[in-house]
Amino acid sequence: MKRTKLLLGLLAWYGLLWTVLAIAPRDRQDWLLENLLALAAVVTLVATYRRFQFSTPSYLLMTVFLSLHAVGAHYTYAEVPFGFWLQEVFGLSRNPFDRLVHFAYGLLLVYPLREILIRLAGVRGLWSYYLPVSGMLAQSGFFEIVEAVVAQIVSPELGAAYLGTQGDEWDAQKDMIAALTGACLCMALVMLSARAGWNGDFRSKV
Amino acid sequence: MVTHNKRLLAGLLLWYVVLSLWTAYEPADRQFWMLSSILPGLLVLVLVGTHRYLPLSPASYVLITMFLSLHTIGVRYTYAGVPAGAWLEYAVPLGRNEYDRIVHFCFGFLLTYPIEELFRLTVPLRGWLLYYLPVMTVLGLSGLWEIIESWVARMVHPELGITYLGSQGDVWDAQKDMAAALYGALLCVGLLLLYRRPRPRFSRSVAHSPR
Repeated sequence: MKRTKLLLGLLAWYGLLWTVLAIAPRDRQDWLLENLLALAAVVTLVATYRRFQFSTPSYLLMTVFLSLHAVGAHYTYAEVPFGFWLQEVFGLSRNPFDRLVHFAYGLLLVYPLREILIRLAGVRGLWSYYLPVSGMLAQSGFFEIVEAVVAQIVSPELGAAYLGTQGDEWDAQKDMIAALTGACLCMALVMLSARAGWNGDFRSKV
Repeated sequence: MVTHNKRLLAGLLLWYVVLSLWTAYEPADRQFWMLSSILPGLLVLVLVGTHRYLPLSPASYVLITMFLSLHTIGVRYTYAGVPAGAWLEYAVPLGRNEYDRIVHFCFGFLLTYPIEELFRLTVPLRGWLLYYLPVMTVLGLSGLWEIIESWVARMVHPELGITYLGSQGDVWDAQKDMAAALYGALLCVGLLLLYRRPRPRFSRSVAHSPR
């Protein structure tokens, strides 16, 4: 019961945040493009809830990531105020918000992926740490491919905004490194907590 | 059977060592040759070290050797200068030497089966995941390779940027390389599925069908 309430709370939070950010995005077309996948993900999660329920931490992590993405999409990533603030404080040459979200992508979503692999595929032992990381890196690479295709198809000026390379020729690689670092960090934490005796293998859950 | 396998493996190893010695004799760029030979060298050592405990099928060893051979030849000529690629560019006006892209494709196409076999042997995988995970792993490794490539380019020749070797000055090179590996992996998985599709055995079913 407590879990159901929490999950409904997460859904309500995301719905509210999403609606507020959907009212006046910086660039409507870019916003739509960014939100296609996010909406598809939420719809899939809700639709498959009866057949496959993630653990509560997984839902929590996914909500945090989707919230970050909603904020990024609202401001077209390159113009997120928080990113400008970070840029000023750390004296960076660019708005680092999109890199931060790539990092968050690896850090926050590798845990749900691990849950899928363990519960659906019966992955065990060391594989249960390597495969999620590999999966996040693959998805990150796939995302860069999709970005490149979209940028080349869609009008070049929107492509540049959507892509958020911000003029860096190594942008794709740096984004993937960010996701990889996040995923490795999360897996290291899970490994350490598993060693400390925490049940991280979803055996007794759900 | 075992002796046959051993002979095949020894033959493959011999072929690879001879080929490597030839490329080591006078590579076009010694530094590039050194850097690019580290990972394949480690892979061969791992394969030699594990072939007793975790023997892969002969098909897998042949596929891996084919891929390593293509890579070794590419390294000999620093990829952008491989004669076969230059010839292809001449025969079909492509605008660039496509040899590296072909090897990226082969990375997916040739190594997906060994990876699938590794999963089959070490992780008890079921159903579609047995086909999805190898593709995912290939794409992940491909992304890792592009990351390493960018590190090397920035460390060794920071002034050249993306004109350094692999990219040949293309901003989308990394994405195209990863896409090539993905297509190769998908093709391999598609062929595997086609080969393993449940086939109705008419003669037997007729013979055993109750009348």
